[in-house]
This record gives sequence, structure tokens and C-alpha cells, in this order.
Amino acid sequence: MLGEVVVSMRSCRRALAVAALLAVLGSGCASGFPKDPEGTLDRVRGGELRAGVSESPPWTEVADSGRPSGVEVELVEEFADRIDAEVVWYPGAESHLIRSLEGGDLDVVVAGLTETSPWAKHAALTRPHTEIETWDGRTEKLVLATRLGENGFLAELETFLVEREEGR
Amino acid sequence: MRRAPGAGRFGATELTEEQSGTLRRAVRLEWTTIGVLVLIIAAVGLVAGQSQAMRTAWVEDMLSLLPPIAFLVAARIARRSPTPRHPYGYHRAVGVGHLVAAVALLGMGGSLVADAGTALLTGDRPPIGVLNVLGVPVWAGWPMVAVMVATSIPPVILGRMKIRLAEELHDKVLFADAAMNKADWMTGLATAAGVLGIGMGLWWADAVAALVVSTSIVADGVTNLRGSVSDLVDSRATTYDDAAPHPLIREVETVLRQQPWVLDVGVRVRDEGHVFHVEGFLVPVAGAMPTLEQLAAARQRCTDLDWKIEDVVLAPVAELPEDQVPC
Repeated sequence: MLGEVVVSMRSCRRALAVAALLAVLGSGCASGFPKDPEGTLDRVRGGELRAGVSESPPWTEVADSGRPSGVEVELVEEFADRIDAEVVWYPGAESHLIRSLEGGDLDVVVAGLTETSPWAKHAALTRPHTEIETWDGRTEKLVLATRLGENGFLAELETFLVEREEGR
Repeated sequence: MRRAPGAGRFGATELTEEQSGTLRRAVRLEWTTIGVLVLIIAAVGLVAGQSQAMRTAWVEDMLSLLPPIAFLVAARIARRSPTPRHPYGYHRAVGVGHLVAAVALLGMGGSLVADAGTALLTGDRPPIGVLNVLGVPVWAGWPMVAVMVATSIPPVILGRMKIRLAEELHDKVLFADAAMNKADWMTGLATAAGVLGIGMGLWWADAVAALVVSTSIVADGVTNLRGSVSDLVDSRATTYDDAAPHPLIREVETVLRQQPWVLDVGVRVRDEGHVFHVEGFLVPVAGAMPTLEQLAAARQRCTDLDWKIEDVVLAPVAELPEDQVPC
């Protein structure tokens, strides 16, 4: 009798714990999971996407007028369309742009970066959007850089990249 | 006399049928553990990504290979018979294996604590992106959580099975290994919680989880280091889990005291690893020397007590040597 009570109490508590966990996960999913510690995606969606660009043809080119073009520039414009954002371009040197990204003054950096870039400690590199063979016979994977830890934004951008891979 | 490998013996000590079976089961279980761990290491390595907690859990899985390896090596070496060069046999191999495993745990755990602490202090924010799973974008955190939860179950089952064998075999390496396996689910859940925390936008959750896991590795290291050093410096023999003095000490003393020619008894027992080494000092009644037969009978009574007791030295003395059997 007593044993039954103890058992039912224990299973009750376990059920409660599972319910609590599901509730946490559920609420997480509703407001976007994963979430950004600094709320990048929430701010950018329907607002302004601050993109740093450093010249690295044919991925990125910056005209004298300051207007950027190239494969990666188009990629970012396309992504911005998807989340209803307006891209504001900030041309500059790669190392300077990465530092701005780290400090939260930029949301994404395009500079013909590759997966083996030494910036990995300072920026979250995305999954590759293109694979190329270099002149010395190595395979390089081209990536974009986002702010470290802003996983909601990163996941949204990478979801876009996956869907692009799948031709959707 | 040489015996086929796998025959039950620890050095000069013949194992009973039952203990031989237990030893064989333990060896089989440890090989199973190594197999399971290799699969777990591969699975965790595949999904680990940039999470500090995941990488810590991965290193811990690799470290968990040490105790099973130490056990298998020690069990093989301890089987050798004593030689003129090694008159006590090779039982201490168990203690050496125990010490090596403990130092590895402590060193690795310490470096992981430092890593996690640095990550926490400098505010490292682990990026976790999206995987392409058969054309569907999946947040990479989900497979991490799934792998951590799935891999935390088998070691617990193995640990529970091994702890019983460790008691029967009086094997402290096996016990340390079983205790680590049994606690493994906490590592799994802490790591999964860290990853879920990242998903909820709590960047510090990952480093905190890594800190919890690495602290538990250090704690394992300290416990095992204390136990192994204590046995290597010939502490009084204790039970397999170091919880209490071994009851056999008292039993040996009682058996000797029951000999009609014995007035007073002092006994010291050390744990050679698996088996005990017993030295008994006997004060005869009225200072009369016992016969060789009486001494042999007393020795036989001791070795009959337990399979662990085989190496027994008895010395008749005028009075108990206080520096050899301190009370």
C-alpha cells in the first residue's frame, strides 16, 4: 500500500518533469529555436541587415561608387528578401569587418572566406555555399561569417543555404 | 607447472570454479565495454561540433577506455606465478593499473576544468548551426542531444553488472571502472542540458555543463588516486570499495586465537591486489614452542577462510612486536 503510494508519487514526479521539459522545448520552438543571446534575428527580420563586404572577386566586388556585387553579395540579398530585411552594406578590410562582427556592429561578413579561415575563433562560419578547386589543386569550401553565438540567425541563414543546395 | 590461459588463477592462488567464472565474465564485460565505448566515441565525435560540453564529454568517453584496458592488462599480468625475481607474484600490477588510470583521470579532468573555466570567463559563445539531413535542414543541437541521451544508457547497465563482479573478485580497478560507468548518465544529461541551453539563447549553459562534467572527472581521479596510493603503500586491507577494513582481518585473528596453544595474536594484512598477504605473530601459552604440525594446522585454518588468503606467514614470538603490529 505504502509502496504503491511511493511509486505513484515517483512516476507522477517523473511525468511532471517530462511535461516541464516539453513545455520549455515547446515555448522554445514557438519563439524560434535556437534563440539568439543578443536577439539578432528578431532585430533583422523586417528591419535592417548590416553586412560587411571585403573585396574578393568573383565572390565579392566593390565598385568605386561603393555598390557591391558578386556571388556572395547576391546570396545575402536573396537571404534578406526571405526574412523581409533591407541590406545595408559596409565595405572594409577583412580583419576590421570581423572585429566589427565580434563587437556586434555587423550581422554578417562576406569576403570570399573559406572553411579553413583563421577567423573561426572570432566568428561563426556558416556551412559552405560553394566548393571550388584552387589553382594549386586543393578543394576549398566558401563560407559566410556571422556573429559568434547568435545561433538563431546562423540557423536561419544555414536553413536558407540548405534549401538552396536542395534547389528549393 | 603452466596452465592454459583463461584457467582461473591469480599468481600462486588457485581460483575456485565460481571465481574463475566470475573472472571470465568480468573479462568479457570489459571487452564489451571497450566495444561499446568505441561506438559511443565515434557517435559523439560525429556530432560534437563546437560545443565545449560536447567536446568535454567526448574526452571523458575516451578516458573511460583507460580503466577497462588497465583491468585487462592487470588481470593478465597478475595471473603469472611467482618467480625467484618476483617472490610475491605479480598482484601489484592491479595497483599500478589503478594508479595509472587515476593519474590520467586527474590530469585530463584538470585540463578540462581549465578549458571550461576559461570559456566561461572569456564568454565564449559556441556556434551551432544547421545540418542537411537528407535534404531537410535540422538544427545540429538536436542530434547532439539525441546522441548524448542514447549513449548515456549502456554504460550504466554495464557498470551495474560490473560492480557485483568487482566485489566477488576483490578487484579495485574493476570497481573504479564500474563506478565511473554508473555515473556516466549524469555526464550525458549535463551535456544535453548544456546544448539545450545554447538553443535557448543561454550561451553560458554550455560552459557550465562542461565545468560540471570535468569537475566530476577530477573527483573520480582524486578518489581513485587516493585508493590506489593507499594500497600501494601497504595500508591495512579494505573492502573492494574502500568503505571499511576488510572483515577477513578480524576472521584471521579469531581463527588464530582459537588455536589451543595460542595466548595472544597480532595480525597484519595487506592487499596485494585481488589477494591478501597475511603475517601473523603468535605468542604461545606459557612460552612453550608450538610443534611444526601445530603451526601448519594454524596456517591451514587461515587459508581455508577465503580464496583471497593463500600467502600466509606465521611467526611464534615471545611478545607482540609493537612496531610490526601497532594497535
